[in-house]
Amino acid sequence: MINLLRSEVRKVTSVKLGWGMLLGAMALAALETVAQIASNGIRGSVALPLSSGATQKSVAASASTAYLFSIVVGIILITTEYRHFTSRPTFLIEPRRGLVIVAKMVVAALVGIIYGVICAALTAAIMIPWFGAKGITIGWIDHGVLQSLISAVIVIAIFAVVGIGIGALVRNQIAAVIGALVYLFVLEPLVTIIPVIQNIYPFLPGAAAGAITGVTRGSGSVHLDALQGGLILLGWGLLFAVCGWVLTIRRDIP
Amino acid sequence: MSPDAHGIEGRIVATGLTKVFGEVRAVDGLSFSVEPGSVTGFLGPNGAGKTTTLRLILGLATPTAGTGTISGLAYAHLPHPGRTVGAVLEATSFHPGRSARNHLRVFCAATGLPDKRADEVLELVGLTQAARYAVGGFSLGMRQRLGLATALLGNPRVLLLDEPANGLDPEGIAWLRGLLRYFADVDKRTVLISSHVLSEVEQTVDRVVIIARGRLIYEGRLADLEGASAGVLVRTPTPDQLVAALARLGVKVTPREDGTVAVVGATSEAVGHAAWESHVEIHELRTGSSSLEETFLRLTADAPPQPEPSA
Repeated sequence: MINLLRSEVRKVTSVKLGWGMLLGAMALAALETVAQIASNGIRGSVALPLSSGATQKSVAASASTAYLFSIVVGIILITTEYRHFTSRPTFLIEPRRGLVIVAKMVVAALVGIIYGVICAALTAAIMIPWFGAKGITIGWIDHGVLQSLISAVIVIAIFAVVGIGIGALVRNQIAAVIGALVYLFVLEPLVTIIPVIQNIYPFLPGAAAGAITGVTRGSGSVHLDALQGGLILLGWGLLFAVCGWVLTIRRDIP
Repeated sequence: MSPDAHGIEGRIVATGLTKVFGEVRAVDGLSFSVEPGSVTGFLGPNGAGKTTTLRLILGLATPTAGTGTISGLAYAHLPHPGRTVGAVLEATSFHPGRSARNHLRVFCAATGLPDKRADEVLELVGLTQAARYAVGGFSLGMRQRLGLATALLGNPRVLLLDEPANGLDPEGIAWLRGLLRYFADVDKRTVLISSHVLSEVEQTVDRVVIIARGRLIYEGRLADLEGASAGVLVRTPTPDQLVAALARLGVKVTPREDGTVAVVGATSEAVGHAAWESHVEIHELRTGSSSLEETFLRLTADAPPQPEPSA
């Protein structure tokens, strides 16, 4: 297993993709943080003032938007093997395919944690001087800002693992990436406006991620707290992991 | 699976190997064996099922029926597959953005080999100069060499190479031939190389396994195939008499449209003697010029598989 983990780490570090996606993740997290702080207090803004706990948590949760990049990285880490047929030497050297998938998920989680820590630190680095200049105290502990940042790291890491699962299910790289993004951007928000099914919204992956970091969307009657959201997201992660694991063992390697 | 006669170290055995994709029987009841200490050519036209067969033996695909074993074991049950078997399936298993050396190091790590092994195999295949360049810029010949380097990482005693000569220049083919002969003759390794062009591997292989439409057409020594292909061509004003005379000797004969007679399975001496005994007038008698390549094409042509070549 150690050999497989070393091999998977090398696969990530020997191509440029991981670094490019990290820059994208940082840009998105920074943009969301800046947008939330800058738009606060302008006319028409519904957010509570920056001094409120809810707003501070929400700004800190900006870091979690990087999950859009970590899920794509997870998908690409596995689909790139099928796309370039490196799946062949990979599974020839380790025919116990389940172990390869586990190693990929562990490495994806590590990559997700690295992305998460960097993006959380970036959000904090934007918040601290900006709030300081406005003379507002950040409630790291009492407003739950620190908890929100740590939650963002967990969300980003879980989505990277979900990405491995999706990539193991849908081995076509482009289809998997587009499918995941369409789901998160279009399908899941759509659920919130369809009356019959809007109550299932809080149990969907994107909403669960929101619950963890304290940001909720939609008008359904169910609202989950961070722990419940975390468990649900973990459940989604496990579901995709198990499906990806089983299918990789059962299907032929292209 | 317990080691039995199939379990000779390094022997590859396919037994009734079958793979069905929907309606297509890509591999159809294929049985053959590949021995250590020889270079075996795995031949067949494009789409004959060569790559699928290799994938079945290597455990990348699950057979619909039958088994493929190496040293008597299914691939997945080999104790150290990365150190026992080296395989290349088509020359395309590389991430284009990764350097040749990093590509090899990824698999050094997975196999538990030191990184310096990557440099050793690069040296062996003559890619040391290109080690740090991204594989995306490699020519087909360079990719073939890198594929071979990947297969050789674990110093395996069994090599399965899919179309290894494809894209190599004549110099490269000669180099590959020397390397593979060395592996088989000196190291006593098992070497199986596939090709859709017989002439490409003709000078390299001892034995051939020929398949078409997923079925076995011929398995045996290349020299025997050569013997089978050579026929005798006779021109006579009375072909019917000659056919009757040869038929009495149990020799297979085919009268041709131009009045000549093609004889398979008899020497020119035997044909001449039979003609003389039966008082058949002969205007021309020569050894057939059917080349190995023609025999191969005829064997694998789009007709029902025939175990015996005939004109």
